[in-house]
Amino acid sequence: MTEIQSSAGVPVIAAPPQEPHLPPKEWLKKNLFSNVGNTLITIMTSVVILSLANGLLGFAFGSERQWNAVAVNSRLYMSFAYPEAQYNRIWFSFATLLVLAGLSMAIWRGGTRMPFARLAKSAYSFGVGLAIMVWLAPLSTSGTVKWEIAAGGLLLAGFIFNRIAAQDEERSLSSLTLLVGTLASIIATLWFIPYGRHSFIGDRIPQVVSEPGTVAFSTKLPWTIMLFVLVGAYYLGIVLRDRLPERRTRSVLMGFWLISPIFLIYLVLRDPAFTMNHVLYTDIPLVLGFLVVGSLILYALTKPSLGEIGRIIAMLILLAGFGSFLTPMRMIIRIFLIALGLFSLAAPTFSGDKSTRRRYSSIWSGFIVIAGWLITAVNTPSTVEVPGDLFFGGATLTLIVAFFTVILSYPLGVLLALARTSNMPIFRLLATTFIEFVRGVPLITILIFFSVMLPLFLPEGMRLPEVTSVTIGYALFSAAYVAENIRGGLQSVTRGQHEAAEAVGMSTSQKTVFIILPQALRMSIPPMVGHTIGTLKETSLLYIIGLFDLLYVGRSVIPNQTAFIGSTRENLLFVSVLYWVISYSMSKASQRIEKRVGLGER
Amino acid sequence: MNETDNTITTTRSGRDLSDAPDIIVCKGVSKWYGDFQALEKISATIKEQEVVVVLGPSGSGKSTWIRCINRLEHHQEGDIIVDGVELTNDMRNIEKIRSEVGMVFQQFNLFPHLSVRDNVTLAPIWVRKKPKAEAIEQANELLELVGIPEQADKFPGQLSGGQQQRVAIARALAMEPRIMLFDEPTSALDPEMIKEVLDVMKDLARSGMTMMVVTHEMGFAKEVADRIIFMEEGQIVEVGTPEHFFTNPTEDRTKLFLSQIL
Repeated sequence: MTEIQSSAGVPVIAAPPQEPHLPPKEWLKKNLFSNVGNTLITIMTSVVILSLANGLLGFAFGSERQWNAVAVNSRLYMSFAYPEAQYNRIWFSFATLLVLAGLSMAIWRGGTRMPFARLAKSAYSFGVGLAIMVWLAPLSTSGTVKWEIAAGGLLLAGFIFNRIAAQDEERSLSSLTLLVGTLASIIATLWFIPYGRHSFIGDRIPQVVSEPGTVAFSTKLPWTIMLFVLVGAYYLGIVLRDRLPERRTRSVLMGFWLISPIFLIYLVLRDPAFTMNHVLYTDIPLVLGFLVVGSLILYALTKPSLGEIGRIIAMLILLAGFGSFLTPMRMIIRIFLIALGLFSLAAPTFSGDKSTRRRYSSIWSGFIVIAGWLITAVNTPSTVEVPGDLFFGGATLTLIVAFFTVILSYPLGVLLALARTSNMPIFRLLATTFIEFVRGVPLITILIFFSVMLPLFLPEGMRLPEVTSVTIGYALFSAAYVAENIRGGLQSVTRGQHEAAEAVGMSTSQKTVFIILPQALRMSIPPMVGHTIGTLKETSLLYIIGLFDLLYVGRSVIPNQTAFIGSTRENLLFVSVLYWVISYSMSKASQRIEKRVGLGER
Repeated sequence: MNETDNTITTTRSGRDLSDAPDIIVCKGVSKWYGDFQALEKISATIKEQEVVVVLGPSGSGKSTWIRCINRLEHHQEGDIIVDGVELTNDMRNIEKIRSEVGMVFQQFNLFPHLSVRDNVTLAPIWVRKKPKAEAIEQANELLELVGIPEQADKFPGQLSGGQQQRVAIARALAMEPRIMLFDEPTSALDPEMIKEVLDVMKDLARSGMTMMVVTHEMGFAKEVADRIIFMEEGQIVEVGTPEHFFTNPTEDRTKLFLSQIL
C-alpha cells in the first residue's frame, strides 16, 4: 500500500481501489447462484427461512392470539402495581433522563451523517422484506391491504431517497433527524390512528373493555411531551455547546449522568408520607459536614512536603473511626470516619500540585455524596401507598436490580481481583475463599439466603426491604465472577509493565492505579459485557423468592387473569423480544466502547 | 557487527575518575534461581560519571546483575550500596533508589495506554510530586533531546521501535536520575534503528551521566566506555579499559569470546 505524506506530516494510507458496484442481477449470480451446488444451497436455505418465517408469523397473527393481553397489561409490564396517582414521578424521572440524553447528544456532537443512497437501500430492503412477510402472514384481507400499504410507503420513501441521491451524491441526512422523525411519526400515529382503547373496569372481577378510537389521553399526552422535551433539550445543548467551555460542560454532564439514576430511583421509590425531617436535619448536615471538613483535611494531607506527620494524622482518624464502635454513635458517622481514615492514609501516594490535590478532595466529595445517599435510601421506608405490599415489579424491577447489581459488583470485583493477585497472603486467602465459595453455590441459594436468612442476622430493629437485601446478595454473587474476569485482565498485563512502573520508583498502589488497572480493565471489557447481559437476564430468577420480575409477570401473572387465561405464549414472546432489545443494545454499546478505547490495537 | 579493526578511534578512557566518589558498590553479590547460581560473588565499584559497559555471552548473568542494582531482582548474599544507601528489603530505601536510578529495558516497556507525553510525565508528577505544568515542560525538553518532539501526542503503538526506545530513555531521564542502567537497549531493534538509539546514549555519556550498559554493541563499547567488565557464568572474568580489553586481553575466556564476536 502506498503511503502519502500529508501536509501535517502524518502518514495517510491511500484508500484501496473501490470494488465496482454490481447490478442486482449479477450480484445474485455471483454470490448466490455461481454453480450448481451453490444454487441448491440457496434454494434450500430460502425454503427453510421462508417456512420458519411463515410459522412464526402464523403464530403471531393467528386469529386465536390474544395480543390485547399485552396491550391491556402494559402498565403491569412496565411497573407492576405502581399507583396510578403517582405516575407523575415516573414521567418526571423519564423526562430527566431524556433531557440528559438530549444535552449529551448535542454536546458530544452525537449522530452520524447518513448518505441518501444508503438510506434508499435500507428503505428498499425493509419495504421488500415487509411485503414478503405480509404475504406470508395469515392476515385478514383488510389487514393485508393495510400492511401492504405500509410496505408500499417504505418503497416509495426508498424511491424518493434514490432520486435525491441521484441529484447530488454528497447529500446526507443526520441520523438524529432520522431518529427524531421516526419517533415523531410513531407518536403522531397515537393521535390519529384508532388503535382502540383497552382498560380494566371493576375491582373484583375485572373486565376488559375495548372502545374504538385512539389510545387514552393519559398515554398519548405524556409521550408527546417527552418528544418535545428531548428535542428541546437537544437545541438547548447546541446553545450551551457554543457558549460554554466544552471540557467543563462535558464533565458536569457526566456528573449528572452518574448522580441522576440514584436520585431518580429514590424519587420513584420513596414513600410519599415519609417525613423528610430526619433527612433534612441529620443526614444532609452530616454529609455536608464530612464533605467540607474531609475535603479540607485531605487537601492539607496531600501536600507533598508534609512527610511523616500526615501518616500520623491518618492513623489517628482511622483509630477514631474504629474507636467509635465502643461508644454509642450513629452508624453513618462511624462509616464516614473509617472511610476518611483510609482516604488520608492513601493521601501521600496521590499527593501533588494544586489541581491534583483538588481532584483528590473532589473524589472524596463524590464518594461521600454517593455513600451518604445509599445509607439514607436504605433507611427510608420505600412503599408507595398501595393495597398490599408489593408495588413495584415488571421491567422496572428487572432493570433496577440489574443496574444496582452491576454498579455494586464492579468495584467490589476489582477489589477482589486485586486482593487475589496481591502479595499479601491474608488478602489473597480471603479473596480466594470468597470467590471459590460463591462460585460453588447456585444463584438461587444465594437469593433465598439473602431474602429469608439475612433478616435473622441483622441487628435488632434494623429492617432491610426485600429488594435491597436480595440486590446485595446478587451483587456479592456477581462480584465473584467479575473478579475472575478482571483477574484475567490483570494477568494479561506483561511483567515488563510492572518492572517499568517499579523502575521509575512508583509505589505498589501508584503502579496499580495508573499502569496495571487501566490496561487490565480494557482487556476485560468483552467478558464484562457478556457478564452484564447475563446479570440482566438472570434477574428472572427473582420470581423464586416471590418478586414480580418481568418474566414472572408475563409467564404467570397475566395468563392468570380471568380475561386472558391461556395467553402465556403471546406474553412470553413479548417478554423475550423485550429482553432481546435490551441485551442487543448493550452489546452494540459495548462494541462502540471497544472501538473508542482501541481494544486490539497496541 | 561489521567492525573488524581493533584500533580504537576515540576513547574516553583517558579521563581521570580516580578522585570521583563511588556511586555503586557491590561486595560479594550472589544470586540463585533455585539451584542455579546466576551470580557468583560479584564485586565491583562504579564511580560517579563513569560509563561502564558489561559484556559477556548470553546467560552470563549480566542482565541479572544490572537488575539487582535497582532491585528488580533480589540478591541473596553480599551487599549492594547505591549512592550511599544499602539495598535491603526496606521498601522506602528501594523506592528512593529507584527514583535515583533510571532503567531502560530491552523491550522498551512503554505504557501502551498513555500518550508519549503522559509516559514521560507520569512518574515525575506522582513520584517526584512535580507540578503538572513543570512536568510537561520538562517532558517537551526531554523529547526534544532524544529527537522526537513531534511525537508527543501519539501513543507508543504508533511509533517505531527506535522511537519507542528513545521515549523510554526520556521517561527514565524525566526522574532526573544520577545513574542510568541500560539492559540490552538495542537488542530488540531493527538494524537501521540501532544507530538513533546509540546516538542518544552517546550524548548522554558525554553529558557526564553515570551509566551502566549491558550490550552487544562493540562499537559503542569501544567509543564510549571508560571501563569494560566481562562476565561469564555469573562471574566477573576481566575488567579493563577498552584499549586493554580489545587489544590485549589477559584471560583466555575473554580471548575466546572476542574471537567469536569480532
